[in-house]
Amino acid sequence: MTAVVALEAITTATRRRRSWTLVVGLVLFGLVLATAIVSLFWLPYDPADTAGSRLEPPSLAHWAGTDRLGRDLATQLMIGARIALAVGIGSVAIGAVIGITLGLVAAFAGRVLDDGVSAFLDILIAFPTLLLAMLIVAAQGASLWSAVLAIGLAMSAIIARLTRILAKRILALDYITASRTSGTGMWGIIWQHLLPNVWPTILVNLALQFGLSVIAEASLSYLGLGAPPPNSSWGRMLKEAEGTVLTAPIGAIAPGIAIVILVLGLNLIADGLRDIGDPLRRVSARAVPAPTTEGPR
Amino acid sequence: MTDNSPLLGVNGLTIRGGGRTLVDDLSLAIGRGERLGLIGESGSGKSLTALAIAGLLPTGLRAEGSLKLDGMQVIGARERDLRSLRGRASSTVFQEPLTALDPLMKLGRQLAEPLRRRAQRDGERMSRDTLLRVIHSSLTDVALPDPDRIANSYPHEVSGGQRQRVALAMALATNPLLLIADEPTTALDVTVQGEILDLLARVVAERQMALLFISHDLAVVSRVVDHVVVLKDGVAVERGPIAELLRSPEHEYTRSLVAGARAFDDALGRIS
Ligand SMILES: Nc1ncnc2c1ncn2[C@@H]1O[C@H](COP(=O)(O)OP(=O)(O)OP(=O)(O)O)[C@@H](O)[C@H]1O
Ligand SMILES: [Mg+2]
Repeated sequence: MTAVVALEAITTATRRRRSWTLVVGLVLFGLVLATAIVSLFWLPYDPADTAGSRLEPPSLAHWAGTDRLGRDLATQLMIGARIALAVGIGSVAIGAVIGITLGLVAAFAGRVLDDGVSAFLDILIAFPTLLLAMLIVAAQGASLWSAVLAIGLAMSAIIARLTRILAKRILALDYITASRTSGTGMWGIIWQHLLPNVWPTILVNLALQFGLSVIAEASLSYLGLGAPPPNSSWGRMLKEAEGTVLTAPIGAIAPGIAIVILVLGLNLIADGLRDIGDPLRRVSARAVPAPTTEGPR
Repeated sequence: MTDNSPLLGVNGLTIRGGGRTLVDDLSLAIGRGERLGLIGESGSGKSLTALAIAGLLPTGLRAEGSLKLDGMQVIGARERDLRSLRGRASSTVFQEPLTALDPLMKLGRQLAEPLRRRAQRDGERMSRDTLLRVIHSSLTDVALPDPDRIANSYPHEVSGGQRQRVALAMALATNPLLLIADEPTTALDVTVQGEILDLLARVVAERQMALLFISHDLAVVSRVVDHVVVLKDGVAVERGPIAELLRSPEHEYTRSLVAGARAFDDALGRIS
């Protein structure tokens, strides 16, 4: 339902007011998505193939050169796209589900529970993602899933706090009271009025958080807290290029550019969504705060 | 429920919050099909009274006393029981038609919500076609031109007067025994105000609904109701038939209201 509303809103608004940021953002994101999909069916080389000569610069045979073990970097980049998207989608899913649920619970709860949830969220937000990731890795071992869990949990606190503020503001509006005086129950209010009205703002923030999660995953992988070796995440590629960055800079530049393309694309999408969200909410736009830009640290 | 108990019986209603008494020992009664005006200046507790009747006081405010609607005690009632009372026994039209409608939902869909709920309550199955027809006729009932266009519009795409008509249609959609109108015309300009008041008086009479009409304006109240309760700082200072009140206001506050209404009427007379 809400997805349909959002989709309807997006399509009508893009038709009315072309949002170039959204278009460019979608193109950049689409590029990474297409790469990830192709990587599932075809790779230039086997990722473990060390037949190439070492630290080769880009050539026709190796578009992005090779690493210090002679493995093809383009192949690693393609696998990295898959990992970045998996981490992003996974952590955004965790962040959205837990965050929105917790935010709504706090918004509807009585004073005591609301204060409790808010305090918990403040602590979770103050907690560095890095520390959270180290705790989870200590408990579960380093894996892609540990990284996704840590980033998703950190994100859920931010989304929960945003949802709570937005929901409280909307619950205080006349149309909620009007709807309740005619007998609409709590779930009716949530599905018909609350979610459609908070969703555009949350969606913008999820797009931003998606971008931040890509950076967070790269940092975690760089620190060895992310996907273990055979998975060439972009962060891991950066780490492996560390020692040779002066002699063969392509090894660090290539994954760096890949990260920028994806994060920039997602930020442009978020901007575009915010632009087209506005005319639809001429009325309530003023009441909705600009999306927060905090992210996992 | 005995026949002589009123539809709405408020007895010693006291609303407190933040260390203040906002409504103090208020009593009033409205029988089936009767109309009562609740009048008082800004901040006198009119809206809180309306919210208390729906059992929707903001958190932090507490009601005491007795508040019986269609035989059910509202104060202290469980949310579940209140929900089945709301819509069936009463519904409310608010002051500000823009904020009383969901900005992201087409008006037809918003209206469908209470219509569907009433059908469910009365055990009717409503097909999509029936629903569309009922939406159309509900909008026609509140004298909206081009109901199909209105149903297909968002709130910001129609005028303030049209929005208030839609809000009225939504309040009427559940066919309540009591309609509460909380300053439904204050936000509108004078000519539109007159049209909405006439419309309100007409539909309430046609459907034999009871009406609690809230306003700070005696001239406005006198167009739709014949009995009023005057509220000042949460206390009922005077009550009675409106004609009598206009003739011989007893409380000083009522006198100032009457003088205000006279000046307004004179001004209108001079214009026309
Ligand atoms: N949630 C609340 N918490 C504390 N005090 C409140 C709350 N809501 C309203 N009040 C106070 O209660 C008093 C009565 O408010 P109410 O809204 O009933 O006034 P009103 O008669 O409807 O005024 P108006 O004509 O301006 O609508 C006011 O003094 C207001 O400040
Ligand atoms: Mg009021």
